[in-house]
Amino acid sequence: MNLHPTTAGLLLAGILFVLGLISVLIRRNIIFMLLSVEIMLNAAGLAFVVAASHWGQADGQVMFMFILAMAAAEVSVGLALILQLYHQLRSLDSDEASRMNG
Amino acid sequence: MSFADFISLGPLITLFTAVVISMLLIAFKRNHRITYVFSLLAYLMALTAIIPAMLYIPHTVPPLLVVDEFSLFNTGLVLTSGLIILLLSYNYFEEREERKEEYYLLLPLATTGALVLVVSRHFMSLFLGLEILSISLYGLIAYLRARERSDEAGIKYLILAALSSAFLLFGMALVYAFTGHMDFPGIGAALRQAGYIPVTVLAGFGMMLIGIGFKLGVVPFHMWAPDIYEGAPLPVSAFIATISKGGMLVVLIRFYVDIHGNDYSMIWWMLAIVAVASMFVGNWLALTQQNIKRILAYSSIAHMGYILVAFLSGVQTGLEAISFYLVAYFITSIGAFGVLIVMSSSIQDAETLDDYRSMFWRYPWVATVFTAMLLSLAGIPLTAGFIGKFYIVMAGVNGHMWFLLFMLVINSVIGLYYYIRIIAMMFKSLATGEVTYIKPSLPVAGNITLMLLTLLLVGLGIYPTAMMQLIQQMMKMIV
Repeated sequence: MNLHPTTAGLLLAGILFVLGLISVLIRRNIIFMLLSVEIMLNAAGLAFVVAASHWGQADGQVMFMFILAMAAAEVSVGLALILQLYHQLRSLDSDEASRMNG
Repeated sequence: MSFADFISLGPLITLFTAVVISMLLIAFKRNHRITYVFSLLAYLMALTAIIPAMLYIPHTVPPLLVVDEFSLFNTGLVLTSGLIILLLSYNYFEEREERKEEYYLLLPLATTGALVLVVSRHFMSLFLGLEILSISLYGLIAYLRARERSDEAGIKYLILAALSSAFLLFGMALVYAFTGHMDFPGIGAALRQAGYIPVTVLAGFGMMLIGIGFKLGVVPFHMWAPDIYEGAPLPVSAFIATISKGGMLVVLIRFYVDIHGNDYSMIWWMLAIVAVASMFVGNWLALTQQNIKRILAYSSIAHMGYILVAFLSGVQTGLEAISFYLVAYFITSIGAFGVLIVMSSSIQDAETLDDYRSMFWRYPWVATVFTAMLLSLAGIPLTAGFIGKFYIVMAGVNGHMWFLLFMLVINSVIGLYYYIRIIAMMFKSLATGEVTYIKPSLPVAGNITLMLLTLLLVGLGIYPTAMMQLIQQMMKMIV
């Protein structure tokens, strides 16, 4: 099989993205859900880098920097929230955190 | 950056600087009132900064931002709504939370995110604005630590928002991979040159729609809305219902216009399905709810569907209709949440239908305001909501969207039911015997704000011409 490098790169990013998505959907532990979302974000970042190298521009790499920064901010807020949730529920099971529905 | 850039982005820079200063202020001296007054001043200054910015329009800050009439109008709208929400928050947080000062960091910061969205014309600024908004919102939603539902709401919003921004980013990457541009006009030009939309770009648009649709709270990406509205502090719910959705909608409009979305039927159909589904699901699920926060959540889902109908009409009047509807919807939503805030006691939010039983006989003034807000949401004449809906129908007629209009009319009728249900509850006669009601806090500032909102609501309903002329003027630029 002889793929164009850009196509191959996008395909890899797509596979990573889908893996992350599946993992978010089947995991019950909130920390693992957060991890899986990180995988999806990084897959998107990879897709940007591949696209940028295809066009010979730096925009994609800049975007990847932003994605990294945003993911870090998100994780820091997320972990703080998870700690607080753990104090209340004594568990990290996402099914426990479902007092609201309807 | 040139001098003109600084002046054009004045509102944004002012608010951002104010956030940094108020952070230092809190570090220096922790005082609720001082922080609150400072934030009020910051919003007012940002609003005044719009006036010099008007001298330079239309002004582009390449490649990321554009400041034209459309963005300045929406900047004004976002800042005014932020100011009103701030006015309503003081008492609410004074009574509830021990450490309340950081709220006045997060709220202006989230507003800044919305302002970035309003002026963005590039994927990068869209992403940055969205994330500034989202990450501040995680903190805001989970702000009341003592309340058991708030951190649940916070973590739900965090996971789902991160998931949706991953979709948005991947979609952007796909579009970028094909077109080689990240600025909206560049993408539009590249697509026009290609003459068709390849599958990758279509998939990219679809994934972007997931990210954007999540923020707008449209079906099928609406699942979070009722839970977050219920768990978040009331002023924050008002913020999510108005500013966060409005900011995203403005980017969506700019993107759609710049890529000439109406030329591609696939994109049109994707949005049309979302619009019809939002109207039906929103109104349908609101029918059986007992919690007013959840009713307002579902009603805002339906309202986004109405706005999308005007959006899809693809005519000049459609964009004007959206702008007017946004103004009306902002006033009404903040008003409705304002009533909830005013009626809440220091320990409990007044959120169930039973809390409002025979309210008209106990608090006639607040009940009147609430009735006006609900009638406006339902689109009854003499309110701004009616005029908004009227313009949307007119846009639909101009664009010959008969099917979508038919759906809109059916849904307006369904919607009427649950708004009237709340009103009927308020007018029930006083129960005999011992009934314990929530003791509302009824702060003075809140009452005055509500009065102003009601005056605006009725004023726009009776005399919409002035507002409409303003909107028509600023819309000349965009199409």
